[in-house]
Amino acid sequence: MKTESKVNILWRKYTERSFSLLVPVLAILAAFLVSGVLILAWGANPIEAYVSLFSGAFGSPNAIATTLERMTPLIFTGLAVIYGYRSGFFNIGAEGQLYMGAIAAVWVAVTFPGWPAWLLLPACVIASGLMGLVWILLPAFLKAKRGINEVLTTLLLNYVAIQYHEWVIRVDHIQEGITLFGGEKPVWTWLNYFTLKDPTQPYPKSPFLVDASFMPSLKSILETNLVTSLLGDTTWYQEVIKIPALGRMTLAPVLAVLAVVLIYFVMFKTVTGYRARSVGTNPEAAKFIGVNVPRTIFISALISGTLAGLAGGMEVLGTQHRIIPSFLVNAGFDGIPVALIGQLHPFGGLLSAIFFGALRAGSNKMQVITSVPVAVVYIIQALAIMFAIAGTTVNIQAIIKKRRMSKGINQKNAAKVAEGETYAG
Amino acid sequence: MGDGMTEPILRLEKIRKTFPGVLANYDVDLKIQRGEIHALLGENGAGKTTLMNCVYGVYKPDGGKIFWKGKLVEINQARDSIALGIGMVHQHFKLVPPLTVAENVVLGLPQKREPFLDLKKVEKEVYETAKQYGFDIDPKAQIWQLPVGTQQRVEILKALYRKAELLILDEPTAVLTPGEVEEMFVVLKNLTKDGLSIIFITHKLEEVMAVCDQVTVLRDGRVVSTVNTEDTNTKELARMMVGREVFLNIDKPVLKTGETVLNVEHLSAKDSRNLPALKDVSFEICRNEILGIAGVDGNGQTELADVVAGLRKAASGKVEVLGKDATNCTPLDIMNMGVAYIPPDRQHTGLFLDFTLTENLIGKSYFRTPFSKRGVFQQEEIKEFTETAIREYDVRTPGPELKARMLSGGNQQKMVLARELSGDPELVIASQPTRGLDVGATEYVHRRMVDARNRGAAILLISTELEEILSLSDRIAVMFEGEIIGIIPGKGADVHEIGEMMAGVRSTGEISNGKEVESAG
Repeated sequence: MKTESKVNILWRKYTERSFSLLVPVLAILAAFLVSGVLILAWGANPIEAYVSLFSGAFGSPNAIATTLERMTPLIFTGLAVIYGYRSGFFNIGAEGQLYMGAIAAVWVAVTFPGWPAWLLLPACVIASGLMGLVWILLPAFLKAKRGINEVLTTLLLNYVAIQYHEWVIRVDHIQEGITLFGGEKPVWTWLNYFTLKDPTQPYPKSPFLVDASFMPSLKSILETNLVTSLLGDTTWYQEVIKIPALGRMTLAPVLAVLAVVLIYFVMFKTVTGYRARSVGTNPEAAKFIGVNVPRTIFISALISGTLAGLAGGMEVLGTQHRIIPSFLVNAGFDGIPVALIGQLHPFGGLLSAIFFGALRAGSNKMQVITSVPVAVVYIIQALAIMFAIAGTTVNIQAIIKKRRMSKGINQKNAAKVAEGETYAG
Repeated sequence: MGDGMTEPILRLEKIRKTFPGVLANYDVDLKIQRGEIHALLGENGAGKTTLMNCVYGVYKPDGGKIFWKGKLVEINQARDSIALGIGMVHQHFKLVPPLTVAENVVLGLPQKREPFLDLKKVEKEVYETAKQYGFDIDPKAQIWQLPVGTQQRVEILKALYRKAELLILDEPTAVLTPGEVEEMFVVLKNLTKDGLSIIFITHKLEEVMAVCDQVTVLRDGRVVSTVNTEDTNTKELARMMVGREVFLNIDKPVLKTGETVLNVEHLSAKDSRNLPALKDVSFEICRNEILGIAGVDGNGQTELADVVAGLRKAASGKVEVLGKDATNCTPLDIMNMGVAYIPPDRQHTGLFLDFTLTENLIGKSYFRTPFSKRGVFQQEEIKEFTETAIREYDVRTPGPELKARMLSGGNQQKMVLARELSGDPELVIASQPTRGLDVGATEYVHRRMVDARNRGAAILLISTELEEILSLSDRIAVMFEGEIIGIIPGKGADVHEIGEMMAGVRSTGEISNGKEVESAG
């Protein structure tokens, strides 16, 4: 028996699974631990603070609904970053793609308010994904064709998207149009179709969306004829249906979790994902096994952009039902830490998105009850990122040590140690 | 110096070093006498470099003692060992190419009038040191202008300038041409005359026999034996190193060559800096034939392989595989014509180090049935294939889910072979297939290549190891500055003739294609 367990240990030691939940979980715990010291220094009881944070995130149906709402876009943008990064395309334009996706979803809902729900909702969702794809087309093309750094292009397009979103909800409908080159027909009238400002409102807002475009909520499902006829008379049902938070628990987080599973499947179980990861981990070697590297990068980027676009769609269709200025600040950028804490694995991303969502949902309650400022959650978040990255280097170091034995990396280090020289080879 | 035999300059006693899960050195005893060249022989991963890193201060041993000139010393960092008089020359030089020889030599040394550097004085000192040891080196020359052999001498000079009494050379011949190797051996012999001791890390048996006085063989981190080179031979050393009988010469049946598999005509191509790398190269390889391309590294061999495999554009000329035009086709198209490519650098271009063995093994066939259907992987088929491949190619691993990074060099190369040779390719391009491999793994790779040849494949073997070319090739083409200088039959090829051709001297006279002789014989 003893020998068997030894073999098992060895097996586990060497069988480095492509992903281990251990690092993100430990990173999050360590972040809470260190932040606890900060809270102590602030003069509050960290345990109390964390208890209120936790109850603010999971303590009631309302809290859970908020956590789910906050989590959903982060899952999508996290997936966007994960898929892109693992495929050699570091998409930091998820913010912009998210905004554009949201605008597209709202545009469809505002433009075709008469469509039935079964048509309008999927159309809105698809529009948001497509718009995210469109928004990454240019960086994807430039990267694949010309090797232009995608970090710059995607980042800069964020600002274009954010400004466009401001414009879209601020500009009143242009009635007249402008004629150019002496033409008779006004050229700019088509812009009317792109402004989303609610004309009845003095504030920059899009109109409130029609019900048909709403993500179905738990409440709406429970209120369908089928369910009421089955359970309508039970006291249990009467109790449950009164919970207002049910209206905020929608299909969106479910779709997000499905997306996680789907992306996991694509990444690890399909030819597409294999190609993408091969390019991501070693583009040179990918070329040697006959992978068309530019095309693979292009496709991967489009998938990444689509995911980020869907994040915006989920937010407006599931939670906000309209666009207001800065309706979802930083959810796109936060996709990067979500991905990093999640060790660039879809399941890890899901875990860290839940963590981020819970932090955001619970922070207000923590501030109200223990007067620990909301900003602390951003410290926890930042620490978790740092610990997660530190966690990966620990693994890497073990690997490097192993490699040192067989190959000459030690020599490099030796020379560095010996003479502190810089090698400009 | 008189009692050199009784009091070794360096003595290691029961040195022990472990890494997580690996025993790198176990109770290693070693004695280095004054003025001797002592070979440290072992396969990759035998613990040679780890041991020397313990001496040089890169690692701290977990146990054991180090005696320097009879005194117990503690070496915590490389600074300490340099202070004692130990110098190390690494396989990859630590020189700054745009700086001069003198600047490189004093780099990192404290100067009297820091932050100012009296370069004139330094140059003079460096020149004198060089002269003292018989090195013909201009201290004002910039490193990048110097040939590799001279660069290596600059490295040695660096150690000597730091008053080294013991020189550790880590695989010093790996980057040199046969001529340069011989020159270096002369230099080393000269150095020992002045009482300098040299530790020569290598896995090449001929070098041990050629230049070393004593040899210590390491295997699995332990000392197998220390013997005088006079009292041993390569066969015995190989056995000690590998732990079993090794066949240094491959049995190769004489086969009739078949139809032409690869036909290259007037091929020209440019290198990455857009300079001509291939100039009007023509040759052909038939079934059951190994064509060895000899030459000093960087004379267009890599570019040739890349162009044939579709990884580099041909500027002009023609590549035909089994009669079909393959010039400037995509790598995938060429792969589909039955061409396999064993790339020169298994860690960078051969494998995905962060992929599992399974993922690596399916690298060429992942998109084909039965491994995937409608783009989705079929786990059962893949598992069966990888298990068979691991067994058949004897990849030593605890399981198929291990990352390729964790394998030793030999096992990594077996993975590349398993991937490339599965599916019985018509043409195998093998570029430096045994670079950095130990004797056992090299033997294995060679056997596989000969097997492929016997099966009917044509093989384009590119190697800078002349031994390898000589023992495997049916015909030998020598490349120099992008041209094929000549093609001679492999049987009875003359090393000196090839050596001259590698240096650019055209073979005189009748055999320029070597082919006629082969078919006549």
